[in-house]
Amino acid sequence: MSRFTLLRTVLLGVGAALLIVAPSVLSVVKTRMLTEIAYFALFAVSYNFLFGWAGLLSFGHAAYFGLGAYVTAISLKHMPGLHLLVGMGLGALAGAVGGAIIGFFCVRRKGSYFALLTLAFNQFLWAIAWKWREVTGGDDGIGRFVPRRPVDLGLFYLDLTRIPNKYYFTMAVVVIFLAMGWYLLQTPFGNTIQAVKVNEERAAFLGYNVNRSKLLIFTLAAFYAGIAGSLFALFQDFVATSAIGLGMSTEVLFMAFLGGTGSYFGPILGAAIFVYFTDWVSSITEHWEFFLGVLFIVLVLYFHRGFIGLIPSKVRGVFAAGK
Amino acid sequence: MPQGNSTGGQIVAILEVRDLHKDFGGLKVLFGIDLSVEEGERHAIIGPNGAGKSTLFNLITGKYTPTRGRVLFDGRNITGLPPHRIVRLGLARSFQITNIFRIMSVFQNVRNAVLSRMGIRYRIFPRLSKLASVDEEVDFILSQIGLLEKRDIPAGELAHGQQRALEIGLTLALDPKVILLDEPTAGMSSSETRDTVELIERVTEGRTLVIVEHDMDVVFRIANRVTVIYYGKVLASGRPEEIRNDQRVKDAYLGEERT
Repeated sequence: MSRFTLLRTVLLGVGAALLIVAPSVLSVVKTRMLTEIAYFALFAVSYNFLFGWAGLLSFGHAAYFGLGAYVTAISLKHMPGLHLLVGMGLGALAGAVGGAIIGFFCVRRKGSYFALLTLAFNQFLWAIAWKWREVTGGDDGIGRFVPRRPVDLGLFYLDLTRIPNKYYFTMAVVVIFLAMGWYLLQTPFGNTIQAVKVNEERAAFLGYNVNRSKLLIFTLAAFYAGIAGSLFALFQDFVATSAIGLGMSTEVLFMAFLGGTGSYFGPILGAAIFVYFTDWVSSITEHWEFFLGVLFIVLVLYFHRGFIGLIPSKVRGVFAAGK
Repeated sequence: MPQGNSTGGQIVAILEVRDLHKDFGGLKVLFGIDLSVEEGERHAIIGPNGAGKSTLFNLITGKYTPTRGRVLFDGRNITGLPPHRIVRLGLARSFQITNIFRIMSVFQNVRNAVLSRMGIRYRIFPRLSKLASVDEEVDFILSQIGLLEKRDIPAGELAHGQQRALEIGLTLALDPKVILLDEPTAGMSSSETRDTVELIERVTEGRTLVIVEHDMDVVFRIANRVTVIYYGKVLASGRPEEIRNDQRVKDAYLGEERT
């Protein structure tokens, strides 16, 4: 495997270099698109913590994305002088706490009951975001909460009104948390999650607390979704009910399946394809959602391993997590 | 006072079932089972199909909750505890229908059990591949059950007999005080059965064993105590030779096997 390790290191180095030079060579539009791909990639990977690693099909994952986005926006808006990172941290925390509470109820149900419960809780939070106008702005949303002045990041100040800086900041957060997630799945914790997915009953009779392990991964997935949501809020400088709606829950599911739920990197690829595809189709026709639907049907019927399944397994093996 | 403590030099029951009842929506499967397993005992539970043997196992190990009655393990009331709590106390079981992690490798299967026994369930440091002592332990168990050469293939691709051995290995890897084996030779050829009996004798030596078994040769070879269950009740319980000669057992069960 040392040949692989070398190859992997080289590929990761090249990848990092490309991500660093990207804003200098790409247009502002493309840089924005790449930023969007980055936080959606984190969101899609968080979705796959549930579906791919724990076998839990959620129809309401936008609840935690939305909690992250709203809490970041609201705290920055209403607490002037609050550090950006604190605001974003509160958003991520809100995702995790929301996930822990909702997950507590959901993991006690299986299969379609689980899926429908996640959907119901999502709809519940969406209704709050829509109706509680004084706090959330209702369907007008909340905007202009990102600090206009450069943000003190300890070592340096970062002007987040500039697109390349937003890109770098988002990409850094995303890469750090993606790497942490990848690591976690190779630990005993990650193994427990997969063992419970593969055979829940046997896992229980080996001494694994099935509900607890599901709740832990649910909370972790919600935490990651919360981070993605807070990055979304930072990028858009605007949050409305679409961030917490069922449309968003469907899109993240789509991204994960598009790329492939059987691999850690699948959903990242899926997020990239999704963002590019919708951008491209919507530049041609306003009925882009129709073509998105067609793509999804073709995917489920003929390529259910996702786009990453089209890549030869030897190439994928270079990045295979130690499963 | 906890039950099962030694009083006046009596031998201690490590597992005790008292007046256990189970209804499934009005269908009475067990009515009033009493069972006592002493430490080090090799206890076979026999009975015709549908007698309630598997239900009894499922009640003891927490898969089902009894309608009435109690299960005491090592002096503790474990009635109604969830399976993972009972397993952690040292009462482990195998399944009649092979219940393994089919898409995981043989090695990963046993590692799941070893990690759980060592209490390494949610640790995030270090990564799995750095836990050398776990790997050694897993390989040791694989060599005991004769699957070391198969360690890297998916468990679902093993031959039937090997899957049954893995099933026993998973239970063994938990290093339990009491092992419950649910028909370990189910669906086996006579040569596979012979190998499995040898395996069971070898790996369960010195442990308390409770085994549900259909094959009378297996029962009389392994067990030093036999309980016969007949339509939800205990018909007889005693040493193998007592059971063999018990007229009620002959009438109810052994007789029909031999005609």
